[in-house]
Amino acid sequence: MSVREAPGAPLLPAWGIVGTRTVATILLAIFASLVGAYPVTLGEAARIFTGWLAGRPDGSTAETVLLEVRLPRIAAALLVGAALAGSGAVYQGLFRNPLVSPDILGVSTGAGLGAVLGIFLSLPIILIQGFAFIGGLATVAVVYAIAAAVRGREPVLVLVLAGVVVGALAGSMISLLKVLADPYDQLPAITFWLLGSLSSIRPADVWSVLPAILAGLVPLVLLRWRINVLSLGDDEARTLGVEAGKLRIIVIGATTLMTASVVAISGVIGWVGLVMPHIARMLVGPNFDRLLPASMLLGAGYLLGVDTLARTMSQVETPLGILTAFVGAPFFLWLLARGRHGWE
Amino acid sequence: MHLETRNLAIGYPEHRVAKDINLTARTGEVLCLLGPNGSGKTTLFRTLLGLLKPLGGSITCDGAELTALPRQEIARRIAYVPQAHNAAFPFTVKDIVLMGRTAHRGAFAAPSPGDHDAAMEALASLGMDGLENREYTRISGGQRQLVLIARALAQAAPLIVMDEPTASLDFGNQIKVLSRVRALADQGPGVVLSTHDPDHAFAVGDRVVFLDQGGIVAEGAPRDVLTPERLMAAYGIDVDIVELAGGQTVCAPAYRNT
Amino acid sequence: MRHVIASTIMLLGLFGAMPLRAGEFTDSAGRKVNVPQEVAKVFASGPPASVLVYVLKPDALTGWPRSLRENEKPYIAPAQRELPELGRLTGRGDTANLEVVLKTAPDLIIDFGSVRDTYISLADIVQTRTSIPYILIDGRFEATATALRLVGDALGVPERGEKLAEYTETLFADLDAALATIPEGQRPRVYLARGPDGLETGLKGSINTEIIERAGGRNVADPGDADVRRGIVQASMEQVLAANPDTIITWDSTFFEKVWSDPLWAKVDAVQKGRVYLSPLLPFGWIDRPPSLNRLIGLRWLAGIFFPEQFNQDLRAQVRSFYSLFYHVDLDEAALDTLLAGARGGRPQ
Repeated sequence: MSVREAPGAPLLPAWGIVGTRTVATILLAIFASLVGAYPVTLGEAARIFTGWLAGRPDGSTAETVLLEVRLPRIAAALLVGAALAGSGAVYQGLFRNPLVSPDILGVSTGAGLGAVLGIFLSLPIILIQGFAFIGGLATVAVVYAIAAAVRGREPVLVLVLAGVVVGALAGSMISLLKVLADPYDQLPAITFWLLGSLSSIRPADVWSVLPAILAGLVPLVLLRWRINVLSLGDDEARTLGVEAGKLRIIVIGATTLMTASVVAISGVIGWVGLVMPHIARMLVGPNFDRLLPASMLLGAGYLLGVDTLARTMSQVETPLGILTAFVGAPFFLWLLARGRHGWE
Repeated sequence: MHLETRNLAIGYPEHRVAKDINLTARTGEVLCLLGPNGSGKTTLFRTLLGLLKPLGGSITCDGAELTALPRQEIARRIAYVPQAHNAAFPFTVKDIVLMGRTAHRGAFAAPSPGDHDAAMEALASLGMDGLENREYTRISGGQRQLVLIARALAQAAPLIVMDEPTASLDFGNQIKVLSRVRALADQGPGVVLSTHDPDHAFAVGDRVVFLDQGGIVAEGAPRDVLTPERLMAAYGIDVDIVELAGGQTVCAPAYRNT
Repeated sequence: MRHVIASTIMLLGLFGAMPLRAGEFTDSAGRKVNVPQEVAKVFASGPPASVLVYVLKPDALTGWPRSLRENEKPYIAPAQRELPELGRLTGRGDTANLEVVLKTAPDLIIDFGSVRDTYISLADIVQTRTSIPYILIDGRFEATATALRLVGDALGVPERGEKLAEYTETLFADLDAALATIPEGQRPRVYLARGPDGLETGLKGSINTEIIERAGGRNVADPGDADVRRGIVQASMEQVLAANPDTIITWDSTFFEKVWSDPLWAKVDAVQKGRVYLSPLLPFGWIDRPPSLNRLIGLRWLAGIFFPEQFNQDLRAQVRSFYSLFYHVDLDEAALDTLLAGARGGRPQ
């Protein structure tokens, strides 16, 4: 009977896309582990990996490069890309607008302010990252508190406006710190941080953000169907039995946790959270059930590709934030010109 | 099921729209809500759906105070059909209808196979089967309205509230949608719908509530409520109420210079 | 093109500056500026110029671009320790207010650094608006002796300018003589580690690493002939491991303390051999910050690190005499200890 078969039918091609993207991402990760400034041959890599799996490290520099430098960086690129694109997908649904990025409530600017303050105070790296993380969370909390205090008839609009205002404020505080900073040593560090980079990722960075990302991701996965409903708007979602306000605060909290934790280790990286959910929606449709995994996979693969480019295309590191924009912006324009929008 | 308001006052803290509203909606019955612009139809719906707090009085649902119920419980009792709108994202028709099942599932659950069946049944009952994989954003306005009604059916609430379901539809679609609404109510759920067209009330309404001047000015059978005098008072126009040969009643406005 | 600019500037100068009873002075950009005979007060447009003026004629200095920190003060002559903060006129972030400049009523404004068109136009604009003569001095390291003589003349202290210029020329000549005997392949491969994680560096050819290269070090951050802006860039750990420098210079004490126990940096030759050196920073940096005369002592220090046989020097004595000659301070043993902590390299005790 056709009604019986229907549930599975449209899902298969979508999961097929997710499957092929997974395989492609794994292949890209293997490729990325073989290229870089330090020459490591395929044979060497195979020997190092088998030695590592067997628990017999050989202590060579090639091993250090592969296991301590490249692998954490690849893992970080995948995590950061997945978290940013996943957050973007959530926010686009939440704000019912496909042109929204995870920064809309100021999480990146707030994290930037925290990090810049940390650099300004000449704190150690770990504290700079901590400041960035707390800065991101605190900024979104302030934005939410302001929006809640305003209590307008249009909570989403008030939230976005509060985000714009607080973001602008944080941005000008960053500018102030840049003016006050030591131009010979703090200013370059601030500039690099605000451009985003994975060049100094350590294994510890990956391990420290992983729990925060998971803590943010789990509620999003569990609430994935309700997030679909919320994208119809508050009133409609309520009449369908969803506590829109409560759901939104949970979703914003989870997303902010994810974004703030990755921005703390990567710096500000734009475009991934805007463009990747967009492409994912074109591939698998807007149903969050499939959109979330597809966005995260695309984001992970994209950032890994861009970061591999950033560390191999020239003798010097190219800041990631610049590359993601260079690759992302024209692609986005092309998507717009093609006319298949994935939204109405 | 039995939805009842007692001395209900509706509106916003700074601006009361209507008061002393006493009405009852029952399963199997189509209750039409008429009234000029600004008379409070939409405000009343928002209040009945729990989106707006009553300024006074009470709303009970089979004796239970509606405002005390959690969102999910309200949604299991009253479904809502908004005016056909444009979703922000191109969900499939079936995804939209499946969203009607949300109130019957836990917060962390996605739709089950049973929910898929319910959605397909709802679509089929409105003659919309075959459209389930189309994008909701790419079907006609009339089809969208039917999809939203199918969603309300999938929600399986004993009462369905429809906010001007025929607004923005072309003439043919208006009639098709209204016919479906009538057929629907005959099968069980009660329907409360607002409309601007007295003809629609004559065509599908079992009872009519006329809202004007901050309250209910008349309630009863369509022929008793929608009299030329009342329409003159409310809208300032002359109308004739005519019964056609087939038993159908229509409202014919007189076009002339005043 | 240069001529056109120069003549335009001359025209501007004619209309702008009041003809004072003064001598005509040609600055490094070829601008003819009327500099008064008695220059009692000078506004230094930025950190490099402030060092230049302080070294040549400390009494003429009206203020610092940024007020001195407590730990810097012991290395500056008492009379200049408490000078006010006046901001900077050039470079990134113009923080000096022209009114502040006018309030200090300087006889001359000096900019020491780039003489590119941007700075020429800035100088002309400020000179026109304030009617204070504004001279641009070429800040390239190689031109240090010339700059000392030029500004010595302008400030009315030609003997002092000559004396310091001679010190500079002797240092350069000694270094060139020694380097002539050392083939390229035997010179150390050096990495400048900036930032708390040590992963910012200056590219070869940048102003930030100029004296490392002048002292005979081979900068491992070498983009070859690539057409990139030679400045501060971010490096990755992998690039550092691939380059495997045998000498690391840093001025970041956080990095200097941490690098010895870091498992990744442990793979680098320089760390294994204990050849990581912390640059002194008081009162001015020895490598850069600012790129001014303060780098002369840095050059001597680096030469000793890179070529200990050729430059078998007594660092403490060298530093003491340099600080006395240039900075007008006599350092006691405690001040020297503080200054030179880490300058001898190796794991801190």
